[in-house]
Amino acid sequence: MTKTILVTGSGGVGKTTVSAALGVEAARRGVRTLVVTVDPARRLADALGIADLGDEPQPHDQEPNLWAAMLDSAGSWRAVATRHADPEVALRLADNEFFKAASEHFPASQSYAAADQAATFVQAKAWDLVIVDTPPAAGGIDFFTAPSQMADLVGGRLLRWLTGGPLPGRRFFYDRAARPMLRVADTILGSDLLERISEFLLDLRTTYDGVASRGREIERVLSEASILVVTTADPAPLAEAVRFYRQLPAIASMPDAVVFNRSLPSEWANAQTEVGMTAIQGRLVDSWAAETLRQGDAREEFASRYGANIITVPWSPSSPVDLAGLRTLAGAAEGISWEQLLPSQDQS
Amino acid sequence: MLDKRLVLVSGKGGVGKSAVAAGVAILAQRHGLRVLAIEMETGHGLAAHLGMHELAFDPIEVRPGLHAMHMVRSEALLEYLSLQLRLPGMGRFGAVARAFDALATAAPAVREIVTIGKILWEVREDRWDLVVVDAPPTGQIASYLRAPTSISELVTTGRIRGQSEWMAETLADQSATALMMVSLAEELPVMETREALGWIADTEVVPKPTVIANRILFELPEGIESSGLVADMESLHRSLVSDQERWLAELSADLRLPKLFGLFTPAEVAAHMSDELEAML
Repeated sequence: MTKTILVTGSGGVGKTTVSAALGVEAARRGVRTLVVTVDPARRLADALGIADLGDEPQPHDQEPNLWAAMLDSAGSWRAVATRHADPEVALRLADNEFFKAASEHFPASQSYAAADQAATFVQAKAWDLVIVDTPPAAGGIDFFTAPSQMADLVGGRLLRWLTGGPLPGRRFFYDRAARPMLRVADTILGSDLLERISEFLLDLRTTYDGVASRGREIERVLSEASILVVTTADPAPLAEAVRFYRQLPAIASMPDAVVFNRSLPSEWANAQTEVGMTAIQGRLVDSWAAETLRQGDAREEFASRYGANIITVPWSPSSPVDLAGLRTLAGAAEGISWEQLLPSQDQS
Repeated sequence: MLDKRLVLVSGKGGVGKSAVAAGVAILAQRHGLRVLAIEMETGHGLAAHLGMHELAFDPIEVRPGLHAMHMVRSEALLEYLSLQLRLPGMGRFGAVARAFDALATAAPAVREIVTIGKILWEVREDRWDLVVVDAPPTGQIASYLRAPTSISELVTTGRIRGQSEWMAETLADQSATALMMVSLAEELPVMETREALGWIADTEVVPKPTVIANRILFELPEGIESSGLVADMESLHRSLVSDQERWLAELSADLRLPKLFGLFTPAEVAAHMSDELEAML
């Protein structure tokens, strides 16, 4: 069985780097691993061997057990139409100006597309481990609720809202006199727009059965996955990580661990300015000691309040640009139980 | 900055835009302005930086002269509809709002016009000297700033078309509106910022943004001659600074805000941020 690790956390904390480092280390340990990522920095994409940005998994040319792929949420949102609608309707949808707008507007649609693609890789059973670097949209929690939100969207919630009642036929929209709210919308938006949107929503609805059943599959994959929450000790990402720990148990499962990226050596916390230091040395010591102290406090509080397993990844001076750099980073991680995190070898 | 009516703060997620927005709002308040700070996203980032647990759609006074609110699109829409249409009966009213919301999900720009419209409506109010917005991140802000223009392309009749014109004018007005783009001296934020500067220059939907490089490390002189732990700190610091220099060179920032060490809460960060901004402006 393919094991899935979902790597979540707020933007800018190094989620993609952590995902890549985990993947590289897993592959080194002989686990056939696919790292699925969104929008990596150029040098990291190079390190993973996906410089040409394909959404098809590509084998790494130096690490035989490692594959990497980019998520293309725009592309797989188009696939919703081609996969779940009649060919004729699919063509009409793909051309529709509102289809594109809805994909941009409805935050769940991008998360759905990403979750769909990730689940496809998991279900392919071609890997022992699939590591998914989740998109940061809407705080990341979105990723877990996207399948049901999406089914709700195409299933006619919008249509019901428009009509205020049971699902209508196409004729309904031309009987505007009977529907005060449609007259309101007319006044504000103009009648032509309303008609075009209605046509679109009726087309979109034909994808419902497909999207709903696929959504249940995706949810099953997500519910069986291990979750890592990546953060730094900075106040804002930390608040976000706390939110994940509060909300995820109810909608998915308890995260396996919180990863404190950019951790400083704990002995720095005790460093003090000494007689004979220059002013700039004093500033250096004060600054980094204060930072280290705060990081330690943040980890302790997190562990005690949420019973969380804490993994620390050291603050590497520059982000890893190759396989060796990612390996070093993974090797320097503390508090990580590779045996628990990685699928056991005898199953592969 | 403080002589504008509207300051929008954007940037890639994680660069500290909520902290900068809170810093600007607090700075303006300290200068005696009547300020409304608006949080656009669901993450409560601005709330935390203003020392609040969360904010509501109705502005609350978080310190004397500084009000803050959280944008709720359905509430903004209800408010708009009630002003525009004076519909009786809240029951039906909710249904109208939901119907409109459904339209807004599918129609480009309709959704954004509701929120950007609410912001610009507050800008027009005499109640505030300055409206500060913790705006959506760089990747999404285009659709908000372009909404008034795109709506007039999309909607050929309808009342919203006329209203979109003054909205577009206010956003583009250099004496009224400022956009602050917050970045870090790191690859992805710098690339996103440059991309945004490009389309803003092309479309001129807002005046040329002020680019802020956030969390900039202080520079170290040569020959410090450290040993032990201090040498390790110096080594990390120097390599971070050298990476930082590389990306700063690509950013052409108007302002640099220092990395703040050892702060515990978002509110502390915001307080320091307003001091730093004060010193710079």
